[in-house]
Amino acid sequence: MKIKSYFFFGLFFITSIIFAQEKEISGTIIDEQGMPLPGVSIIIENTQTGTETDFDGNYSIKAKPENVLIFSFLGLKTVKQTVGKKTTINVSMISDNQLEEVVIVGFGKQSKRTVTDNIASLTSKDLNNIPISNLQGALTGKAAGVQIQQINGKVEGGVKMRIRGVSTISSSQEPLYVIDGMPLINDDESVSDAPMNPLISLNPNDIESIQILKDASSAAIYGARGTNGVVLITTKQGKSGKTKISVNSSYGWSEATNTVKFLNAEQYVELFTEASANSYGADDLWLTEPGGYFDDMANGLDWRNGEVDTDWTDYALVNGSVQDHSFSISGGDEKTVFYVSGAYNNTEGIVRGNSLERYSYRGNLDHKVSDKFRIGLNSSLSKTQISRIGTDNSFSTPLQAIAQSPLNPAYLDDGVTPNNESTIYYNFLMQEYNGSWDVNITRAIMNTFAQYDFTPDLSFRTEIGYDSNNQLDEYFAGSLTESASTNGYADATSIQSDKYNINNYFTYQKSFNTSNLEVVAGMSFEESSRKRQYVAGTGFPSDALQTVESASEITAGSSSRTKYNFLSYFSRATFSLYDKYLLKGSIRYDGSSRFGADNRYGIFPAASVGWILSEEDFLKNSNTVSSLKLRGSYGITGNAGIGNFASLGLYNGSAYNKTSSLSPSQLANSDLKWERTTQVDVGLDFGLLNNKITGEVDYYVKTTNDLLLNEPVPGTSGWSSITRNVGSMQNSGFEFVLNTTNVTTSNFTWNSSLNLSTLKNEVTKLPNGDIVAERNLVREGETISSFYLVEYAGVDPDNGDALFYTNTTNADGTLDKTKTNVYSDAERIVTGNPYPTLMAGFTNNLSYRNFDFSFTFQGEWGASIYNEGGKFQSGNARYEDNQTADQMNRWQNPGDITDVPQARMYSTNGQQASTRYLEKSDFIRLRNLSLGYTIPRNVTQKFSVDRLRIYFTGVNLLTFTDYTGYDPESTYDNYGNSSIQKGIAFYSAPPAKTFTLGLNIDL
Amino acid sequence: MKKFINIKIGILLLTISLISCNDNLNIEPEQYLSTEVVISNSENLSKVLNNAYNDARSSSSYGGSIAIASELIADDGDLWWNGTYVDPGEFIEKAMLSDNGFVESIWMNGYDIINQANIILGNSSAYVDEDEKQTAEAEAKFLRAMVYFDLARLFSKPYTNGIQNTQLGVPLVFTAVLDPKNIDYPTRNTLEEVYTQVITDLTDAYDLLPSSNGVYATKYSAAALLARVYLQMGDYTNARDMADEVINNSGASLTNTFSGAFNNDENSEEDLLAWQVTSQDASSNYLNLFFAGSDFGGRSGNPDIDVEDQHYDIYDDSNDQRANFFYEAKYWCTTKWQYQFGNIPFIRLAEMYLIRAESNFRLTTTVGDTPVNDINKLRSRSTASTFGTVDLDIILMERKRELSFEGFALFDAKRLGNNIGTISYDANQLVLPIPLRETDANTNLEQNPGY
Repeated sequence: MKIKSYFFFGLFFITSIIFAQEKEISGTIIDEQGMPLPGVSIIIENTQTGTETDFDGNYSIKAKPENVLIFSFLGLKTVKQTVGKKTTINVSMISDNQLEEVVIVGFGKQSKRTVTDNIASLTSKDLNNIPISNLQGALTGKAAGVQIQQINGKVEGGVKMRIRGVSTISSSQEPLYVIDGMPLINDDESVSDAPMNPLISLNPNDIESIQILKDASSAAIYGARGTNGVVLITTKQGKSGKTKISVNSSYGWSEATNTVKFLNAEQYVELFTEASANSYGADDLWLTEPGGYFDDMANGLDWRNGEVDTDWTDYALVNGSVQDHSFSISGGDEKTVFYVSGAYNNTEGIVRGNSLERYSYRGNLDHKVSDKFRIGLNSSLSKTQISRIGTDNSFSTPLQAIAQSPLNPAYLDDGVTPNNESTIYYNFLMQEYNGSWDVNITRAIMNTFAQYDFTPDLSFRTEIGYDSNNQLDEYFAGSLTESASTNGYADATSIQSDKYNINNYFTYQKSFNTSNLEVVAGMSFEESSRKRQYVAGTGFPSDALQTVESASEITAGSSSRTKYNFLSYFSRATFSLYDKYLLKGSIRYDGSSRFGADNRYGIFPAASVGWILSEEDFLKNSNTVSSLKLRGSYGITGNAGIGNFASLGLYNGSAYNKTSSLSPSQLANSDLKWERTTQVDVGLDFGLLNNKITGEVDYYVKTTNDLLLNEPVPGTSGWSSITRNVGSMQNSGFEFVLNTTNVTTSNFTWNSSLNLSTLKNEVTKLPNGDIVAERNLVREGETISSFYLVEYAGVDPDNGDALFYTNTTNADGTLDKTKTNVYSDAERIVTGNPYPTLMAGFTNNLSYRNFDFSFTFQGEWGASIYNEGGKFQSGNARYEDNQTADQMNRWQNPGDITDVPQARMYSTNGQQASTRYLEKSDFIRLRNLSLGYTIPRNVTQKFSVDRLRIYFTGVNLLTFTDYTGYDPESTYDNYGNSSIQKGIAFYSAPPAKTFTLGLNIDL
Repeated sequence: MKKFINIKIGILLLTISLISCNDNLNIEPEQYLSTEVVISNSENLSKVLNNAYNDARSSSSYGGSIAIASELIADDGDLWWNGTYVDPGEFIEKAMLSDNGFVESIWMNGYDIINQANIILGNSSAYVDEDEKQTAEAEAKFLRAMVYFDLARLFSKPYTNGIQNTQLGVPLVFTAVLDPKNIDYPTRNTLEEVYTQVITDLTDAYDLLPSSNGVYATKYSAAALLARVYLQMGDYTNARDMADEVINNSGASLTNTFSGAFNNDENSEEDLLAWQVTSQDASSNYLNLFFAGSDFGGRSGNPDIDVEDQHYDIYDDSNDQRANFFYEAKYWCTTKWQYQFGNIPFIRLAEMYLIRAESNFRLTTTVGDTPVNDINKLRSRSTASTFGTVDLDIILMERKRELSFEGFALFDAKRLGNNIGTISYDANQLVLPIPLRETDANTNLEQNPGY
């Protein structure tokens, strides 16, 4: 031992004398597959000197023998090599194992190895090349416990992200989105009841990583807005070295994931003739006689000879297209790095008349003024144009066309003018022909920061962020539309939302012999303001003049201003001992203008512990277990997602006969305070077989007390609801993540990632009893928004009457299952709920030589959907609406066994709200699939191209479900912002199935 | 080192300066006044009163829903529902469900009006001027009584004269709810109690209201409504006397032509009270929305409620202007609600002649004038031939000719004991269900039989 040390010491001494001058070192860097790695950074330790590998992975650098070269590349394990005698140093870099990843946390970052929180981490690799125009869509199925649902198939449609279930009843259910440290404006500014996705104006290609803070310990640093989870978005930044230019261009086409079969003309005539005969007798020929109702419908065409048979679905759901083109230029030197990008997206929706066009720009800059002082600026600007269509509850929305009769011609004889003369309902095609609804959104987001390191241990960072969201809606309905009586109608709505945010915080980080300590402390102030102007007019001289200026009368106008703000102080301490015992505590003190003066502030503490068992002697040398960490956390978060003045008694201005009036609009409640959610999380992170298999298991219980609840009150009070802090709710569940490296050879790699999560939601306390919102129920002991319906009992074989179970409670507590044809004798029961109890995602990435292949399956189980349109669409010809094809199975003769009651026109028989229209919405979906081929480098290099990849991507290619409606993920957009009315479908368009071909070029 | 200290101090100051942001947490709403400001100031209270009229005019109440419910439920073939709304469809089918949206809004908006009336009555001490106070209180009572009367007529079994009407009425609420603590969970009062309250409030209003009050309720609006209430109760003496009082003293007169009484921007000389509709209130007129052709603001049924052949049988003279007060869209429409932005007559003088005629006939009196003269007065105005004598059937038929589509149908059927088709006038299905949201929110409320 002694001799060896002396030997090395001696060797070092001698070599340093002999070779103490610089020499040229060169080599080639390759990856695990043996492919050359361009852009690897090579720096001489403790100096500013460095270089980078070229296209072929080659480098050369001048160094002294005693120097140590550091080879680093994002996502790969950093390699250190002492120069010594060598003049050639070739390095094979391997991928960084997962537990060494760095994750972004609120106000800082942390090594994933020592994180004691539950954070789902996604990188640009997970998001890339999914041709979805909104960033949330690309996350679907990728993170355990995170449900992402686009309300329906409209391109701008709201997206709901539910992290570990719904933990509030009436306040906001949306997570807090933070981009580069700045909380984003996330208010739905749709002028209709159908929400729009406020993040639609962000370009997903600019995102480097997304961290979803799921447990209280990680989210509590965002205090009063942490309850629904926090989504931290980090945008891309350049790297010092060669300037990189990347271009991505893709083009695709899309169609509806599913359509529903409706009656054709012949079936329609058969069913309705029968329905009329059942109601009015077979002698009453009002439908079929010459000049009868069918003739009216057919508008001069001969329905008797099949001259008209309109399939309205074909008019409503069309083939769409997606174009996405983007470029980025990034690079820099040791002092300054930059990233500049531009992108264009053009999505033609699958619902007729619905489209989106977006131009976006980003410029990120980071500069070291000195060793101690860093500044940076991230800025983005985007312009989005959307052609919108009516809400699901409007005749002007395309999918409501399925209600029209197949005997209704779509167009008049000229083939151009939509037929609005004989359709049962207003013909939506008229809106396209004689109206428009355009939305223009301009969004600018700026973040700047300055960071000063007083000492290597202590630094101060100040961040100033600004987010500006400007939206202009212009609507026009011409003289042929529903606004015919006023000779046209136009309105314009302009909204300016501004948010600015200041964060100031100190970070102190110190390593001691056996321990590490990090303390963060600071404050944050945020103010949001919103202004809105609106004007509407009627009476237009010509349909060519479509702005309000041409209106003969201004019929409505308004302007309003509102504001809210938050002032917060926060601190967090992280401590680790022997690199295996981990401890973290945080506290946040939040104040907001939204709450009454007496309850303005809230304190949100959190703590977590971790134990890296794999560092203990008994596991340290295990060949099986390569890493193992046990962690637990506890914390309190809040929810402030209520109106800006929810605690005040308010009267707003109105008018009667053009004289001013004051209308009571809100009851005062000075006791209103934060909603508080306590969350406990226990988890295990593991890595097996040299981290070929890694995973996480978590169990959490999330309890919300003082629920902010818009509680319905008896209307006899003059009010319909008030906001109160009442009740409690609990979410609990398991989350399981398993990542495996299945094959790694030089030609073939295969990785899989599986996530599973369960969710159990229960309203645990509701002091003032049930809240019933049409079909949905909030009741103590039940899942929030459970369906509350009369139970359908099929059809009486004797007479074709619809039957219902009475479900009255017997003396022994059981339900009386007697069947009745008197609807009002049947009691409602709790039957299913709109939230899945099990969710799963399964992603595979494969590469073989120059081919890469990946796909994600996603599944949800346990939820149901109630079709509110069922009474019209599948109502055994009660209304003249066209019927789903299954209604041909109606009861006709005594003895018939069927689920569809006898058809009786204009007479109710089973169309009442019942479980007849409730269905399980379990599904498994091939969420995305992508196949790429990279042209061999030796070919592309001839054209100075680093990388040229062509690819195919598909979204929603396959769906496996027993749900018979349009789509198990499509729901009624008018209820998009309702917190209780969930899982309702009403002429809700299915999402798009998209096929895309694209090209990546890196220069 | 000094430089560092300076920077540190600077940062510290920056941090501290932001602590004073505390003051910024007080943000006042810019579109709202607070309850305290409103109830302590008589001008503001008067604006609440104005808003109570606005809410009464809303489509949920007198801007359509109540009249449409009455006309459709009582229909036996005069009308046809072409519309797409489910709720009125349930009315004409006489198969209302307790979640019917129109029923819910009639109830909710009704009590919203009542609460605003109670806000005035509970805080009227803020008025300095005694006359203003008296008028405001009287108007509040007028509005409150009007709503209770119609809620009682819709949500209860028919009133029978001469007995204690112990059947369920609607809850009577007299306290303004300005604080969540004042919300209570009332039970239903008896129908007798409701009518008693209506008479009390209206009598006060009649005593205290001025005889001229702009577009708002006057002494004679209250008298006219009292006449309507007494008629509904079968109290013909009081009905007759109140109608006579209005005819003699209100200063109102029949318009020269029948059409002059409708589709007006300004009140006609016949209006004892009319709901004001301006082009700023496009969505407030359901009568237009459902009864008018789509070229005149009606919905796509064109019209949603069309007038069927059976109806025209009631006209006995082709020169009667009322027999020709229809126009053809896709189907036939009544002209009464043709103008989207026209005022909605609530009580016309014509009704007073009908009440006086019917009451005089029933009581075999001739207070004011003879029944035949009163009836002929209406007929002459509409250029119909006059009668030599009248009987009760003729008077009632004249009432129908005059008041069709104005919301009288159901209430007259119940008053007169007229069955609707095969459905008995006092059947469960002709009474609106207590809204489901209301029985869900207040378990003390008893649902009507049959729901």
